[in-house]
Order: sequence, then C-alpha cells, then structure tokens
Amino acid sequence: MTGFAAWLEGSAIAVWTRESPSIWAYPTILTLHTAGLGVLVGANAVVDFTLLGFAPRLPVLSLAPLYRFMWGGFAINAVTGVMLFAGDATTKARQPVFYIKLMLIALALVVTAVIRRTVERGPALRAAGPGALPVRRLAALSLLLWAGAVTAGRLMAYL
Amino acid sequence: MNAFVVWLESTTLSRGIVHYRWIWPLCEIIHFIGLTLVVGIAGFFDLRLMGFMKRVPVSAARDLMPLAIGGFLLNMTTGALFFIGTPHQYVGNAAWWAKVFFLVLAGLNAMFFETTVGARTMNLGAGDDTPMSAKIVGTVSLVSWLGVLYWGRMLPYLGNAF
Repeated sequence: MTGFAAWLEGSAIAVWTRESPSIWAYPTILTLHTAGLGVLVGANAVVDFTLLGFAPRLPVLSLAPLYRFMWGGFAINAVTGVMLFAGDATTKARQPVFYIKLMLIALALVVTAVIRRTVERGPALRAAGPGALPVRRLAALSLLLWAGAVTAGRLMAYL
Repeated sequence: MNAFVVWLESTTLSRGIVHYRWIWPLCEIIHFIGLTLVVGIAGFFDLRLMGFMKRVPVSAARDLMPLAIGGFLLNMTTGALFFIGTPHQYVGNAAWWAKVFFLVLAGLNAMFFETTVGARTMNLGAGDDTPMSAKIVGTVSLVSWLGVLYWGRMLPYLGNAF
C-alpha cells in the first residue's frame, strides 16, 4: 500500500492537483467534491425523507429521476475523490478515518440500490420477501450512512 | 468594522470557539450535513418549479421544504459560530461577501415566491407545467444556493480565510 500510495502521489495528475497554483486545480476539484456530495446525499435525502413519511402526498415513484442526479453526483465525487486522494496519497492512505469513509460509502450505495429497487417496483412490493427490511428502516439507515460518510470525509482534515 | 471585529474577538463566546479545538470540526460536520439538506431538498423543489420532474405534484414536493429550512437554520447557526470565532477572516474577504450576496439573493427570491408566484403553483399536480414566473424563481433559487456553496468553499482560495 505504501509503495502504491507513493507512486500515486508522484503521478502527473497528483502533482498537478497538489501543486498547480491555478484556481482550476485543487480549489475547483475540492469545490466540485462538495457540490457532488450535496447533490448525491441531498437527492438521497429527498427519497429517504419521503419514505419516512415527511411528504405523504408525494408519490415515491415520481422521484425516480432523482437517481440520475445521484449517479451524476457520485460520478463527480468518484473522479474528484481519486484526484484529491492521489494528491496526498501517502498521508491519506494512513488515515483510519479514510477507510471508514470508504466503507460507509460502500454500505450506503448498497442500501441506496436496495431502496431504488423497492421505489421503482412501487408500493405494493415494498416489503416483499421474507425477512426483507421494511423500507422505512432502510431509509433511516441510508440517511445515517450518508451522513456518516460526510462526517468521516470532514474529519479527514482533522484526524 | 475593525472596532467591531476587535470587540467580537474579545467576547467569551469567540474565545471559546477558538479555544476548544473540537468545536470547529463539529460545526463543519453540521454545516456540511445542513448543506446537503438545502441543496437536496430546496434544489429538488427548484427543479420542479423549473419544469423538470413533472410527475411530481408541486404542493406535495413543498411538504419537504421544512427540512430545507431546518438545514438552513443549522447552517446559519454554525456559520454564525464560525464568524463569531474568527470574524477577521471574513469581514475583509471578498469571497465571504459574495457568499452573503447570494444568501441575500436566495432569501429575497424565496420571499418573492411566497408573496406572489407561490400561491399560483400550489394547485399544479402531476404532469402540469409551471408558469414562466415559477421557472425564473426556481432558476434564481438554484443558482443562488450553488453560488452560496461555491463562494463558501472558495473562502480560503479566492478569499484569504484560513
């Protein structure tokens, strides 16, 4: 891991991200990462709070287009996240909170995918299958996992 | 302005915010979670006003707005704590004033919506298009909130904070 991190940190894209004085380098990448998290986590929050009953008149099926926004936000943050990691790889690869963040994102993505399937199948199938978690619990879990990922990301600047 | 900054930095609250090292990161975490609520919930409503996601009934989408207001209040509170902690970083910072400008624009736009266009959009159901006035209000709102996010994140880079 240390060898890989050192190689990554010395790559051209990492050097540019870290050392370019251009406003389009580090500051813009960081800002895109923040905007991406706003879109990804925010669009998730719309679905999750709706499933939790905050907007009873809002048909969950009508929220399907939001998954395109989530994908867009995720794609932006995957790309900018790799760049931000590469720029400071040897330090970030040693931060336990970085691995916690990745784990929370992985779990959140799984929960989001499960929720999406139930959302798109409509209310009749929402609690389908023996032992399937009620969708409300999944929605609460999704909110917790995404908030946890944001928290871990913010703590990377401090721990 | 300078006298105000000096006075503010002498207050117990300001000193406490800087002294206790965990307060700043905790407020940042809350500030980012509040950001997701504002961008997500208000942005969702703005997109519907702009005429996207037409299957969403407008008044039903609005039922989520208290969550956006909750996120905004979290961010006003934590933002005020940042300002009280280190006012000198902000008052002379062009990026901060740009952020305040977009906050005021978002606020005035929301007030305009509530007092004029808003009532006319509430009976719009699934499949209904929104009037041009609502599309403009939605666009101004979305651009304003993205402006707030942009200038906030750029505080250390286009401004001189931190």
